[in-house]
Amino acid sequence: MNTEPTLIPDRPIALSIPMRTKFSTYALLAGLIAGSSFAVSSVSAQEIPTYAPPPEMPANAASLPRIVLMSMGGTIASRGTPRTNITAYGGKDSVRVEPIDWVKDMPELAGIARVTVEDQRSPVDRPSGQETHEDLARVSKRLNELALDPNVDGVVITHGTNTQSEVAYFMTLTVKTDKPIVLVGSQRPWTGMSGDGPRNLYDAVRVAASKDAWGKGVLHCTNQLITPARDVDKTSAYRTNTFKGVDVGAIGFADPDRVVFVREVVRRHTTHSEFAGLDYTTVPGVEIFYGYRDAPGYFIDAAVEHGVKGIIIEGTGAGNATTSQTEAIKRAQAKGVVVVMTARTYGGRVQDTPRRREAKIVPGDNFPAEKARILLQLALTKTTDLAEITRIFNEY
Amino acid sequence: MRPIRPILFVLALACSTLASAADALPKVRLFTTGGTIQSRGAHRQKLMEYSDGKVSAPELIADLPELKQISDLSYDEISNVGSPSMTTELTLKLAKAVNAWLAQPDSAGAVITHGTATLEETAYFLTLVIKSDKPVVVVGAMRPFTAVSRDGPFNLYNAVRVAGSPKAVGQGVLIVMNDEILSARETTKGNTYRMDTFVARDVGPLGYADSDQIVFYRHLTYRHTSKSEFDISKLTTLPRVDVEYTHQDADRVGVDAFIAAGAKGVILTSRLDEAVKDGQAKGVVFVSSDRKGSGRVGESAKEAAKGLITSDNLPPHKARILLRLALTKTTDPKEIQRMFNEY
Repeated sequence: MNTEPTLIPDRPIALSIPMRTKFSTYALLAGLIAGSSFAVSSVSAQEIPTYAPPPEMPANAASLPRIVLMSMGGTIASRGTPRTNITAYGGKDSVRVEPIDWVKDMPELAGIARVTVEDQRSPVDRPSGQETHEDLARVSKRLNELALDPNVDGVVITHGTNTQSEVAYFMTLTVKTDKPIVLVGSQRPWTGMSGDGPRNLYDAVRVAASKDAWGKGVLHCTNQLITPARDVDKTSAYRTNTFKGVDVGAIGFADPDRVVFVREVVRRHTTHSEFAGLDYTTVPGVEIFYGYRDAPGYFIDAAVEHGVKGIIIEGTGAGNATTSQTEAIKRAQAKGVVVVMTARTYGGRVQDTPRRREAKIVPGDNFPAEKARILLQLALTKTTDLAEITRIFNEY
Repeated sequence: MRPIRPILFVLALACSTLASAADALPKVRLFTTGGTIQSRGAHRQKLMEYSDGKVSAPELIADLPELKQISDLSYDEISNVGSPSMTTELTLKLAKAVNAWLAQPDSAGAVITHGTATLEETAYFLTLVIKSDKPVVVVGAMRPFTAVSRDGPFNLYNAVRVAGSPKAVGQGVLIVMNDEILSARETTKGNTYRMDTFVARDVGPLGYADSDQIVFYRHLTYRHTSKSEFDISKLTTLPRVDVEYTHQDADRVGVDAFIAAGAKGVILTSRLDEAVKDGQAKGVVFVSSDRKGSGRVGESAKEAAKGLITSDNLPPHKARILLRLALTKTTDPKEIQRMFNEY
């Protein structure tokens, strides 16, 4: 039950808030706009104030870029009560935020783009639970369709923040388009106090509608930072500044005055990706093994027995495995399994050294293990040649 | 004494290999201006107040014989001063010397040693006035030449590697320290003593000078070097521009004094509308910047109507450099705003 007094869904908002003289005109205006759209809504975004008006609609609203707002769910699509609940929201008993709710809650989206919505969330009743590769393959295929659709100028995708960077990276490798695709999420539910979702969503649509965002690969935009899919990662469990471009930072800003890009991305993506435009219903199995003192090799043996084609060792220091892991790696390689080394240091490259080359281990550049896994899965659809896979890790 | 003979043999072999390879090595010139990297301390644990002698360019090179294995290295001693003592005259002299070197068809790149305190100012100045796509790398050290665990040698070694690398062509003036390749524009000194002092907040480095290879992950979108409209070839000085630093109770006294001293431009971090109006009546140009150290100053119609230029994400000391160069071309606020948006 929602005990918060700020929203009374079945009558116009303007009547339910105190009318301070200064804001009365704004409140009335907001009430007129919000009143109609809130009629069917349940608990909605706390941080879309009704006592201040949305920005004025521009004269060119009818010719603005056409953006598909695609939901893959996430905290940004979740509700929780009370509004201070920013940790235990959503779940089976909670009413999810439907894609259209975002547009209803924030009519000003129509002032920056012609937004249509699309639902690509994984089924709520899927027995295996969460998102799987099946979802990634489906969305990638759909994005490749939208890439060819002359009535679409860009896509914004919401996604839960936990695995968002992997999803973004998969898309930047597999979608063949120069159109902007922008991943967005939030750390606090749509209903949360000081929720970051509404502004993040607004900014993501601004970026997707920006001419300058074309050809930059799949982007991520939260906290006003624009970061390429390859480099973005979640760095804090709860803070709203969680997303960072690890090592190499953001490439632009969704600033109040305008969207600005200050960097070009060097590594290959989207239209320059050899993996783009293809169907990936299934990909070879690749598993990750974390490095720590005494890390055993028998995990690796078990994975090989299970049939994995590739292994990522998230090694200690500059990319090192334990003796036990190293022996298991040799046994795996004897069966044709490809091994890539990343570093658990969270920053810095795993380098191409003579010793590593002798051990036939592919250096994983500065990837976190989960992104190295995605690149290796795609690489293994083409080749098992180590020199070729090393090239791929150097180029993407 | 037994090992000497084989060592001599290996040395002789190495020398002959080097001599034959020298022709193919990239021709890099080291321009020395001074700084911690060229300073001596009273003892090897001295990490501050190291003013017990200077290191010359030949001494720097002799100290690091590996440089000859990766480059065909020459040098040009511009000055030997700490970076707080760098002057407009010295930076102009440096820029002209680097331009002359890079204009030679067979030169590959340039490395500049510099004190770290104002290194980012010289680097940004150079990225606006160097007329070449060839790599230009500015390098310094946080620990003096004489210190235990000094960072200078590897910084210099990596700087020369980057200056000789085709990957660094067209990237604007770079700062190479602590294995990182940073752009002159956004990089700032972020710590008084740590060796990872140079940071580019929000946007990070462009790449790495790693042992296996030089790697770039990012290219710049701002205009620089061969795409820059600024030309210092005929200049002997630059217009005076001063910086006003804000704090609670900040007033117009500083700005008035700058103008009385002959400032043609002022970088503001306070809101001083009356002083601005009076200054503009005398032809002074004002740029509004910020002391926070990261983030852009948003462009607004309201500020533009007052004739105020916004500094994008340039900190005040870098906004000063761009404004000085801008004032060599125009005093029109609209035109200068364009420059602040493009450089």
